[in-house]
Amino acid sequence: MDSKKIRQDFPVLLSSNAIYFDSACTSLKPRAVIEAEARYYNELSACAGRSAHTLAKKTGECFEAAREKVAKFVGAKPEEVAFTKNTTEALNLVVRSLNYASRRKIVTTPLEHHSLLLPIMEQERRGIAKMEMLGVSADGSIEESALQAIDKSTALVAVHHTTNTTGMHAPLEKIMKAAHDAGALVLVDGAQGVPHSRVDFRKLGADFLAFSGHKMCGPTGIGCLVGRKEAFEKLDTFIVGGETVETVSLQGVKWKEAPKRFEAGIQNYSGALGLSAACDYLGKIGMQNVEEHEKRMAEKLISTIQSVPGATIYGNADAKKRCALVSFNLKGVSAHQVALMCDNLSKIALRSGVFCAEPAANQLGFGKGAARASIYIYNTEEEIKVFGEALQKIAKLG
Amino acid sequence: MLCFVALAVFLFLSIFSAKYRPLAKRALECAARKVTLRPCDTGLDEEIKAASISGIMKISPRAAEFTNKHFEAFSLAFSILFFLSLIFMVQGFYYFVIYGNCNGPEGGFCIYSGLQNEALLVAPTSLAGISAGNASANITLIEFGCYTCPYTKAAESGVREIISKYGDKVHYVYKAFPLPSHPYSHEAALAALCANQEGKYWEYRALLFENQAYVKENGAAALYSLARNLNLTGFEACYTGNSFEPEIKAATDECTASRIYGTPTFFVNGKPYVGQNAMNRTMAEVERLVG
Repeated sequence: MDSKKIRQDFPVLLSSNAIYFDSACTSLKPRAVIEAEARYYNELSACAGRSAHTLAKKTGECFEAAREKVAKFVGAKPEEVAFTKNTTEALNLVVRSLNYASRRKIVTTPLEHHSLLLPIMEQERRGIAKMEMLGVSADGSIEESALQAIDKSTALVAVHHTTNTTGMHAPLEKIMKAAHDAGALVLVDGAQGVPHSRVDFRKLGADFLAFSGHKMCGPTGIGCLVGRKEAFEKLDTFIVGGETVETVSLQGVKWKEAPKRFEAGIQNYSGALGLSAACDYLGKIGMQNVEEHEKRMAEKLISTIQSVPGATIYGNADAKKRCALVSFNLKGVSAHQVALMCDNLSKIALRSGVFCAEPAANQLGFGKGAARASIYIYNTEEEIKVFGEALQKIAKLG
Repeated sequence: MLCFVALAVFLFLSIFSAKYRPLAKRALECAARKVTLRPCDTGLDEEIKAASISGIMKISPRAAEFTNKHFEAFSLAFSILFFLSLIFMVQGFYYFVIYGNCNGPEGGFCIYSGLQNEALLVAPTSLAGISAGNASANITLIEFGCYTCPYTKAAESGVREIISKYGDKVHYVYKAFPLPSHPYSHEAALAALCANQEGKYWEYRALLFENQAYVKENGAAALYSLARNLNLTGFEACYTGNSFEPEIKAATDECTASRIYGTPTFFVNGKPYVGQNAMNRTMAEVERLVG
């Protein structure tokens, strides 16, 4: 995989000359994705599944082709893929639509993004479900001994694939076994996992997998909820409206099967086409290559930050246990200062703060914020070197 | 501390461009929190600090380290200097509006003088005032002067030279413009007209300029003393009776109509000269017209 060649596909990199280390927030978009999204407006611009004219039919075909492409990318069947606005909507859909009458418990971890944590907390606040946390060790790993919290009263285990705070992976295999042994469903937040590693929905064994397009070179405003047919059937309706029903009378409604039941109203067709193009783009590179590139870059990134005096890396510093995402602080310099100065000195785009995961930040020891560097396919070792030089200068201020 | 400076700067810039208004709002929020002894939570202070330190770091990393270490102290000092400058600027502008000079009654260099433009002056139509030279000459030289103005005093030798050299070809008219910024200017204008009543105007005028500092310090007492030197018998009655007040007011009104902003201002056949090298330029124009 040649990152230098890949960079040529990203117009933003060519025009801004920035060192973009904020892909965990959102990735950059290659030309192919931008063109695919524009294609909808240039060539189709109709709505699918309603009108019978040629443009509408063509839009429908393209939309369903996009669904197939996305499904194939994550090793799922097309009927297992529901398009959503983003990961947040997909997570809300599952957490809020599941029936908690017989099993009231939702097991999760304090490391989750607010997008997963808040819907669960809302269900608890409303008295609908009960939230229980899995223990987390000092290095940010989920304690396997804590898996005993998953029992027969558990309706749902909701957990990340890869955290957005440390880049570490959850022990999904063990979680999956514990959950399924207890008869609970498993919802995996794949926002940081799907873009950076090979994720096969079948092999993963999860009941639901949520991810966003914009973190994997796709457009903003499009995401997916992948779900097993039987799992989808356990969900009540979420947002309802046009295209979610077979028939409606004032006496009752016959809902469509999933995934259509969860796709209310006119869909983000251009986004779906863009996401499909992103899957193509990443597919051509090969997710194995992406994964290997990220492991190499993670090692380089960690060693670069570790060489800076006064640097603290959050989570386990073993590159094998994480993707190329590192949250860190420099002694005596605030995280915001680090990020702002990296931008001012070398046009390095970092994120700073608690990354929409405040409980995780508190758990990991950076409640007042950290700086975060997250790497993707277009980043190079030379960029990490420039980043290291900037950090060395900034560290002297501390 | 810098959020206070940012507030003032961005508020000002917001008048001209909407893009600064969100920054002004953030600065206002930050300043409000600082005033109530809470830390700024808009991030603006950190952005300013990062931009400042980064800029310095590009020039000298050591200077950046030093500045970063003492940033709060620098911010405080800069803020104090900024607001002092702002106060002086506003005071200067106030003086400029009231006295025509940003230094107030003292006079001297004023940066706002750039706001004044010689080309905007309007030539007076009346030839009322103290007259000398040839009243039927083709060249008319009108001076708006102030007896207690150091610049009018400095130009006096040039005026005298023009009158003595080209008195037959130039009609000179002096209009007193007692600037409020100069002490006892009004009293001196009145005293000069009283001296004129007794036919001793030019002698008294010479004494006024020669003893300008004395007059500015002692006022009426000095004016009386100068009058005594010339044996002006009716001076006291004239001065205390304010006999020439209407003439002084008329001259002042003429100044306003001509948009005079400093003394001396010369008009050579209607062409104005004021400020830097006004006398030299006036002299050159007169000589050019005389041929």
